[in-house]
Amino acid sequence: MTDEGNGQNRESPKEPAREGSVGLMEPPVATTKGDGPPINGALLLRAGSLMGFVLVIAYFALVAPGFLSVGNITNVLEQSAILGVLSFGMTIVMIAGGSNVITGGIDLSIANNLGLSAAVYAILLKTGQPDIVALSLTLLTGLAVGLLNAIAVVSIGILPLIATLTVMNICAGFELVITQNTVLQASSPLLAVLAGDGPFGIATLAYLLLIIGLILIAVIEYTPFGLRLYAVGGFREAALAAGLSVNRYIATSYILSGICASIGAVLSVALLSGSSTGSGDMLLSVVVTALLGVVFSRRLVPTISGSLLSVLFIGFLINGFQLTNISSYWVNGVEGLLILFAVATTSLVRRREA
Amino acid sequence: MALAKGDPVLSMHGIVKTFGGVRALDGANLEVEAGNIQGLVGQNGAGKSTLIKILAGIHRPDAGSITIRGLHCPHLTPRQVEHLGIHFIHQDRLLVPTFTVGEAMFLGAEPGIGRLPFLNRREMARQATTILRDHFDVRLAGGALISELTPAERQIVQISRALLRDPAILVFDEPTAALVRREVDRLFEIIRRLQAKGITIVYISHYLSEIESLCDQVTVLRNGVDVGHVSLKSSSTTEIVSLMLNRDIDEMFPKRAVPIGEPVLKLNEVSARGAFNEISLTLHRGEILGLTGLLGSGAKELVQSLFGLVRLHGGTIEIGSERTKVSSPPSAVSKKLALVPEDRRAHGVALQMSVRENVTLASLQRFVCFGFLQPGREKTATNELIRKLSIHTASQASPVGDLSGGNQQKVVLAKWLSRQSALYLLDEPTVGVDVGAKVEIYRLIGELAEQGAGILLLSSDLLELLGIADRILVMYRGQLAGEFNPANSTSADLLSCATGTSAVSEYVNAVSAESGR
Amino acid sequence: MTTDTSPTPSAPTGSASHPSRQSEATAEARQRSTDAPAPETIPQWLHRSSALRYTVILAFLLVFTFLSVKAPGFLTLSNFVNILVNNFTILAIVSLGMTLVLLTGGIDLSVGTAMDVGSLLFISLISAHQNFLVAICGGLAGALATGAFNAFLIGGLRIAPFLATLGTLFIGESVQQLATNGGQPIYLITGTLAPAFIYIGHGSFFGVPFPLSLAVGLTVIYYLLTERTSFGRNTVALGANPSVAWYSGARVRYTSALVYLLSAVTCGVAGIILSATIKAYVPLSGNAYLLDAIGATFIGTTLHSEGRPSVIGTTLGVLLLSIVTNGLLLIGWNFYWQQVGTGVLIFFVLATSFLGRRFRR
Repeated sequence: MTDEGNGQNRESPKEPAREGSVGLMEPPVATTKGDGPPINGALLLRAGSLMGFVLVIAYFALVAPGFLSVGNITNVLEQSAILGVLSFGMTIVMIAGGSNVITGGIDLSIANNLGLSAAVYAILLKTGQPDIVALSLTLLTGLAVGLLNAIAVVSIGILPLIATLTVMNICAGFELVITQNTVLQASSPLLAVLAGDGPFGIATLAYLLLIIGLILIAVIEYTPFGLRLYAVGGFREAALAAGLSVNRYIATSYILSGICASIGAVLSVALLSGSSTGSGDMLLSVVVTALLGVVFSRRLVPTISGSLLSVLFIGFLINGFQLTNISSYWVNGVEGLLILFAVATTSLVRRREA
Repeated sequence: MALAKGDPVLSMHGIVKTFGGVRALDGANLEVEAGNIQGLVGQNGAGKSTLIKILAGIHRPDAGSITIRGLHCPHLTPRQVEHLGIHFIHQDRLLVPTFTVGEAMFLGAEPGIGRLPFLNRREMARQATTILRDHFDVRLAGGALISELTPAERQIVQISRALLRDPAILVFDEPTAALVRREVDRLFEIIRRLQAKGITIVYISHYLSEIESLCDQVTVLRNGVDVGHVSLKSSSTTEIVSLMLNRDIDEMFPKRAVPIGEPVLKLNEVSARGAFNEISLTLHRGEILGLTGLLGSGAKELVQSLFGLVRLHGGTIEIGSERTKVSSPPSAVSKKLALVPEDRRAHGVALQMSVRENVTLASLQRFVCFGFLQPGREKTATNELIRKLSIHTASQASPVGDLSGGNQQKVVLAKWLSRQSALYLLDEPTVGVDVGAKVEIYRLIGELAEQGAGILLLSSDLLELLGIADRILVMYRGQLAGEFNPANSTSADLLSCATGTSAVSEYVNAVSAESGR
Repeated sequence: MTTDTSPTPSAPTGSASHPSRQSEATAEARQRSTDAPAPETIPQWLHRSSALRYTVILAFLLVFTFLSVKAPGFLTLSNFVNILVNNFTILAIVSLGMTLVLLTGGIDLSVGTAMDVGSLLFISLISAHQNFLVAICGGLAGALATGAFNAFLIGGLRIAPFLATLGTLFIGESVQQLATNGGQPIYLITGTLAPAFIYIGHGSFFGVPFPLSLAVGLTVIYYLLTERTSFGRNTVALGANPSVAWYSGARVRYTSALVYLLSAVTCGVAGIILSATIKAYVPLSGNAYLLDAIGATFIGTTLHSEGRPSVIGTTLGVLLLSIVTNGLLLIGWNFYWQQVGTGVLIFFVLATSFLGRRFRR
């Protein structure tokens, strides 16, 4: 059965198999490895990307006065908070689902989940529910959508791309039903705090982005749970052999992504003082930032810190455009070129190393 | 619980397992004594993997009983198996490529930082390095990435992973599939060392020579039943072979006599940088030209370059009597060249496509009329080839993934037969094919030669070359090192030529003893 | 056989959540099944008969029956014409391109971009009083350009299709915003339009509305292309295993480049028809079709045992989506509820079909 494993996605051994002692002898091969990490393409790519980030910031700092002022940086962080939180959710799903975008993990419902959760939050506040009730029901909504994704992907076995696409449509429908395609104004004590400034006059949302980012970095990159998520996505059979309940980890990733969406919804309602239409338009930006984050990691895998960096990168880019009066119409195009560049270089590096 | 050497530590009794109406196991038994190295052999499809998966708790048997270390275990789960101290070394080397050695070793039982629930990467790397050094004398940084390791190193990491969990029984499932000879010897050394530490070993392989040199006891599976339990102290491998096959080894290579015709392929001093240098050879119609060489000898690259997969940097190719260039597989196919690649499932057959679609894939132009494919003609042609090659398939519409390895290989051959190729490049055509199908493939190769095709057979199975080739070329370090006539050569001759030494006497002896030539 | 393919999340086997990946043991069982014919048992009925494969058709019939009874005016000829013209045509054309691309194992997220660019150039040329044929050629050339960009990225630079076309989509958005000053639609003045322009939007071809007959014609062409030509077979091989296609002498990069060109031109046709129908170019309107096209194609894949996209399956998928949209409207659900209803329906079609595929494994 050795040749019947049918692991199409699995790498096949490159060395030819031999036929017992009737086969041929091999020249001696040394089996020691150097201690330090070798200088490789991945490292260069990462350094290059960071350098690019720094150069972009340096350029805008030179041409746009006030670009590096505390107020402006806070502004960028505040504006990036929502995209950031969504991007974290997407990253978690990509970690647990593996790198293949079509068959691996992806959560296309995340942006519309935000729209739906924001609508739920706004309508609850509008009907006079106290903050705590509204907040918990909002988080519950996001969680429920995540659960639906998890069931579709893990229990039913629908391809993630298409499962989450369908759930996305369902979310968009419910959002429209709730909002009747209008903006629902909302206000509450909690929202006032969130929309206001925290210590040192820096926006609360900016703090929240960094705090949520740091918590998730700790959980995903520094705990056994995170390591296992990577194992599940990196080599499913290996995770199975290590006794992990793979399906539970994948399901968890979708649920976490759903929760991220609803947290994003709360931030979004705070930032815009209400629900908004067209939150689904953020989806592609979320995908782009999560994928772009890969070039910021040493092993060329999605990471929370990488996604945070790429969200900030894009945030600074947009902000720099605004300050230097470059038309915002260029933003999408630049994002598109960035993703193409990132992907072309990562695949080049991977091919080199293979 | 302490067990003395020789006590039964594991017994599986009367195991039955059915998949969708097909009996994979039909009352199989396996007895393992403590401290022994127990072999388990059988052809592909004999039920080895299923038996092991049942032991691993992955499949649940339909009937039968399992006793592990005196404990009766009716419903094994993977977790329970681990608690009982049984660990598995899989052929796939199940390690995440983006992990460090330390992470891969400790996955599932990661040490924390004090009481905090965070990963202690430093501790993992340190322990990993220590274990590798102490047990295996391997110097590997615990922080090295799995993707940077050689297959053998990954194997050792996997064994270390199991050792961390203090195993009582280690099960090796085809561990040498991707290892080179030297690494295999080293692995055996390690396995013997583990045995000396009192660990019981179950070793699954279809390489008989490995079983012979390693195991104390062997269980032979055939068609889901154990057909024999052999002690290697008292019996020989030939006995095992006849148990496995239920037939004699001499029937393997069908004899035939074909007149050698005019040249179909002439290479004049072809070179490819870094692979081989100024190779000249001539292949005739009706001839089976054997080619062999170690990894890195350039033999594989030579075959690939003929199909346009490796670029040539000098020399000329004549096909028929015309000088040509082969720049890519499409151009090779248009010159009626055929390649049967070594990695069948990666390059040979598309598993999700039907038998018919695979068979006609390289010769679609044959079936095109006014720009459209003619399904009727495709069907007729496919039917003919299925019959001719006796491909066992439910229908020509069933996906190739449903077929056994040997039948998949026949589909690859059928693809090139349908193309009416004149020149066949066979790259290890019988790797991963069970012995029964091997014989049929040898017969087919013979028939192709009879019909006037030229055949270049690259193989590292020397018996196979001696059995069916008309002439054998041996490559060494990018050069042709020798030409042999199978009628008056032995595998020892080929081997010493391929290794560039005559100081391989111990292997030579072993080989000639086994091959009986 | 249900024991080892149990769909509960905690199943220790973790048997393939990816449908095309099968467990080793099942492969072994399949292999053995070629040696001995398996006796028919109850699971065998699920195993080999394709009952669950036809969920699309079943869903189609159920929806159809339900709407015939419940929706006033659903079961009338004029309503069917309405469905075909207003709901079916454009999506059907776009989905053809998507089907071809998905057949090669790729994906084209820039179908909307090709539509928009085609429509932008077409309408701009018409409003600049260019000859109708020049405008058509201009529109198709615009779509072809987006396709060529994709082909270059995928066939030339070998970037993964999802990401390459995602990049194209983003760049296309910028291009349109820049060209239209941030998304201003271009409206045509109705009185001055050439008869040919009116014809492709609203004319009729032997009594059938022109856009619909064009869609039918393209569907037939695509059917023949995918099922009955060597190019089509090569796209299937490319989707199943690109190396095998390459080792069999197929010109892989050429095929995949051509696929994205064809998809883009087809979408360009859809864009031109759409803008001729509404007599305007609305920036970024093509993206609305992207997800429906993917959805329809995937619904269609449920027809094939290995989950292969097909022109017939896709057309059925588009028809199902169109009928549901129309029927829910007739029942009196507003647009918002329609979206929920369609989503839930697609979810169930996919769920049953994937569950069915999982049972077979």
